[in-house]
Amino acid sequence: MKIEVLFPEFCNLSGDMANIRYLRKCIPEAEVIETSIDMEPAFNTQEDINLIYMGTLSEIAQEIVIQKLKPYQEKIKELIEKGQLFLFTGNSVEVLGSYIENEDGSKIQGLGIFNVHAKRDMMHRHNSLFLGDYEGIEIVGFKSQFTMLYGNNEQNYFIKAKMGVGINPESKLEGIHQNNFFATYLIGPFLILNPQFTLKLMELMKVEKPTLAFEEDMLKAYQERLAKFKTLTY
Amino acid sequence: MMQKKTVKFYFALWLAKGSSLLLKIFRRNGTQLPGKLALKLCPNFLGMLGKPNTIIGVTGTNGKTTVCNMINDILTDNGYDFVNNKYGSNTNAGIVTTLIKGATMSGKSKKDMVVLEIDERSSNRIFPYLTPTYLVCNNIFRDSLQRNAHTEFIASILNKYIPKETIMIENADDLICSHIADNNQKIYFSISQLKTDTKECQNITRDIRVCPKCYAPLEYEYVRYHHIGKAHCPNCDYGTRKADYVVTNINLDNKEMTVQHQEQEEKYHLVSNNIINIYNMLAAIIVLKQLGLTREQINSSFAKLKIVETRFSEEEYHGYHIITQLSKGMNPIACSRAFDYVRKQPGNKVAIVVLDDTHVEANSSENTAWQYDTDYEFLKDDSIKQIIIAGPRYLDGYIRLMMADIEPEKIVHEKDLIEATEKIQLEGIDKIFILHDLYLIQEAKQIKNKVKEMIDQKSEERANEE
Repeated sequence: MKIEVLFPEFCNLSGDMANIRYLRKCIPEAEVIETSIDMEPAFNTQEDINLIYMGTLSEIAQEIVIQKLKPYQEKIKELIEKGQLFLFTGNSVEVLGSYIENEDGSKIQGLGIFNVHAKRDMMHRHNSLFLGDYEGIEIVGFKSQFTMLYGNNEQNYFIKAKMGVGINPESKLEGIHQNNFFATYLIGPFLILNPQFTLKLMELMKVEKPTLAFEEDMLKAYQERLAKFKTLTY
Repeated sequence: MMQKKTVKFYFALWLAKGSSLLLKIFRRNGTQLPGKLALKLCPNFLGMLGKPNTIIGVTGTNGKTTVCNMINDILTDNGYDFVNNKYGSNTNAGIVTTLIKGATMSGKSKKDMVVLEIDERSSNRIFPYLTPTYLVCNNIFRDSLQRNAHTEFIASILNKYIPKETIMIENADDLICSHIADNNQKIYFSISQLKTDTKECQNITRDIRVCPKCYAPLEYEYVRYHHIGKAHCPNCDYGTRKADYVVTNINLDNKEMTVQHQEQEEKYHLVSNNIINIYNMLAAIIVLKQLGLTREQINSSFAKLKIVETRFSEEEYHGYHIITQLSKGMNPIACSRAFDYVRKQPGNKVAIVVLDDTHVEANSSENTAWQYDTDYEFLKDDSIKQIIIAGPRYLDGYIRLMMADIEPEKIVHEKDLIEATEKIQLEGIDKIFILHDLYLIQEAKQIKNKVKEMIDQKSEERANEE
């Protein structure tokens, strides 16, 4: 059981690394490979990676990561096609889009794996709560971002928003889900907040008997947050 | 930088002055309403308003208020006449409110000096109109991710807007803050290596791990906390800057520190044994020396100073020490520092942790992502016998403590702060720490009273047994 964490020295903002810490608790036997920017990604040489994870990163780091991943563009495409499991949280999905546009109109070319692009608005940070549905699982979370994503994700969205916004304020379709590639702008302890999705993720990772760490308390906290979110009008 | 006054400016000034007077009559001194009003009527108001000749600014993530309080108190103690935003806001509206108070009806400054706490996130709305003579930057850390996002963002705003004429006073031990406004004249300060420093970082977050010039992993000679320490890039010239003022010795027994500057050593009375406050003191000393105060003047004032009670208080009560400490919720570094302080204090302890943002919870729900950048792991210490976590997000707090591998038997988690406090177990305990959010000062007092009640009850039971 292997989990590759891409560039943890950069992609560690907003408490996102809690997702990996929680997976370690749920799957103690898992080997976590931390690929730093000066290393060759393990997904390029090893075929038995169960999950490739990348978390929220800064704007400068996005450019560094795009440059780093450029030589692996085709490999990433191929892995997505073959059903490799990915989880990208926060703004990390933007590196896989067509481009990232600055306020002055200048563009940073992305890897072009998904036909979406991000627009930055550095002086107006978007903060919101989110409640949505993924295959019958109610997903809760937080958004805190400088960017919005544009493009058509009608065929490959991850979560349908019931409260909060999708990939941009005009959309109710959040994130990207293509084969086993999952990306969401929801930040922080996404897997801790959403134990039912975590179980699903572990199944996709091919964990033999997926079990949640602190299951009872996790579910209690999840139910309480869900109930609270349902009382909020957004 | 001074802009020509317009009719709109005078109208805004007089209206703001009128509102200040009304607020004074109704004893509402802490508000930034006059500044808000002036800026609404005249957006360039700050550029037209007269300013004192000497402007002391203090910015950065943590410690701004404490450094300003120290500077303000020592200047006052030494007979200086100046204005400050001690009771106001540190955003542009708060700063305008402060300067209006210190201005004549024609908009000229009545005072020669101002001490301003400046919110780093608001610097884009302040520095285009105001040039600090000296600007202290104590540190740049992760703060509220919803407001401040990340350190690169804050550093970029400061770099863009700090006027080039400003003399920067920066913490050399902080690689992020010591590289801000790099073309300005600078005075660096540092605390030399401590016994408690480590080779590896013990914190969850360290916001500069690779060289920003060549992306090589930085090599740390020692880490104090997070990215504070001494580091260099193995591939290029990037690294910790040489400090002008260095704390070379800290003597906690004598409550004294030694500061070295240009081969000369000076001793100062320590206001606090907390390393953060030693950095705060050092920054204040440099500002005061730049203003011409002598060591004797500064030190005799320090001897009278105390950290403001709403930030830190310690009281001995029937053999127990009750300590209240401000630990700003949503600020992972402030909370991590508080947890670290608790674990390193001698004796057996109970930690009462109330960090939820009750204002947010009243109409919404708090974004709890910050909890996972915070070192709750520091509360897993043999000397901390019980952890009481309370507030609307008590279940999230409980899970965070479980994620830190803290034994469930040690944890009390309840929504109600007082009901949770009633579960305190005082047997064998020396110190009770109440770690509270900025918005829970009243609640922290209620908790403290409850703790005292529990201590009284215990003393009574003991007396009856005897």
